[in-house]
Amino acid sequence: MKNLALIVLMGVCASAFAQEAPTPAPTVSDSPLARSHALELAGAFANDGYKVRDGFWSGTLELGKPLLLEVNLFAGNEYWFSGAATNPARKIAVKVFDAKGKPVETELYAEIATAAAGFAPVMSGPYLVQIELMDGEKAPFCLVYSYK
Amino acid sequence: MMLSLVASVGLMGGLQAQSVLTKQQLAGIARLDSLTIPTPGEFFVAMDKAGQPNWTQLFSSQSAALTSSREQMALMLGVLVADGYIAVEAQDSQGVKNTGKDIINLAKKLNVSQSILGRGNSISDFAENNDWAVLREELEATQNEVKLAMAEQKDDSLVTLVTVGAWVRGMQVASGYIASNYSPELAELLRQPSIVQFLLGQLAKLPEKNRATSQVVAVTGGLEAVLKIVSADPGQPLSSEAVSTLSAAMAGVVKMIAEVPKEES
Repeated sequence: MKNLALIVLMGVCASAFAQEAPTPAPTVSDSPLARSHALELAGAFANDGYKVRDGFWSGTLELGKPLLLEVNLFAGNEYWFSGAATNPARKIAVKVFDAKGKPVETELYAEIATAAAGFAPVMSGPYLVQIELMDGEKAPFCLVYSYK
Repeated sequence: MMLSLVASVGLMGGLQAQSVLTKQQLAGIARLDSLTIPTPGEFFVAMDKAGQPNWTQLFSSQSAALTSSREQMALMLGVLVADGYIAVEAQDSQGVKNTGKDIINLAKKLNVSQSILGRGNSISDFAENNDWAVLREELEATQNEVKLAMAEQKDDSLVTLVTVGAWVRGMQVASGYIASNYSPELAELLRQPSIVQFLLGQLAKLPEKNRATSQVVAVTGGLEAVLKIVSADPGQPLSSEAVSTLSAAMAGVVKMIAEVPKEES
């Protein structure tokens, strides 16, 4: 999973450069943009054989109000959870916890308002994916997940 | 620019300083049909790693019963989606095409076909080109598009039944294989109490008229039986006996979904 750093880097370069250009400030309900950014990040992992789930999780992030989603994962599979938020979010984090709320060891990636957590469970079962606004203001987000 | 980008986007390995979630946080967990339930494909990828199933032997497409029950059709549609994933694992091009056609035909009967006719063509094209990786994504997209169409026509209860049908069929095939090729690693994949609880919760929310149909009653009973099996002896892999019991229960539920109801035959 660690050799994904370069893949992520390559995949994200385009979006990072794109973010330098001035873009109109999206509204809070503009979650398709967040979804687009989340899928763009997940696309980087697709180069390493990860399949992106068709479903997505979206909503609104607020400072101090992290959100949790239950997912059911299988031992032996590898997963990446990719999240993105739009303006005025400036920094987000994605983390993974076990069903009891204990943090699990993950590979983490974060860049501006996109973040991802990579996880290879040893035990099958329910896990919790958390997305949190670390800096910025209330903004729409989207999270997708990939597996292989 | 590149140097600063390398510095800023590097993966941050390892466990970050994170605290354990509070009870208050754990009380606000979201659960979504589209992400909380793994796809059959995701399940089968894990099975491939823990064992080496002969998917060609496991693929046997279920034929859709001639029924007027929309609930049964929705359950069957889920079963067919799972069959599609099995055909993909078996790399059975004709099997994928046939299952894709069956999915579309059933969707037509549920009046949700217009939006997914293109998907049916895509499935056929990808199967023709043996594009197995894309087919897994296409199957999930097709299933989600059917569910979206159902939700748009206020048939939300059918969405739940498609999910249940797919999960039940996936469990039937997986438990059947593991019953004959037992290993603790494979058996561990079947221990999914959280998913069963979620599905039972969704079924409990269905309107009474949907819940009362014979297929939904049978599926609910089957899932309740499964919950007891997969919740027993937590922390231990399911025993060979438990897997066999699970397999028989799942086979019974799928048979009930696929056969013509007595009142209609």
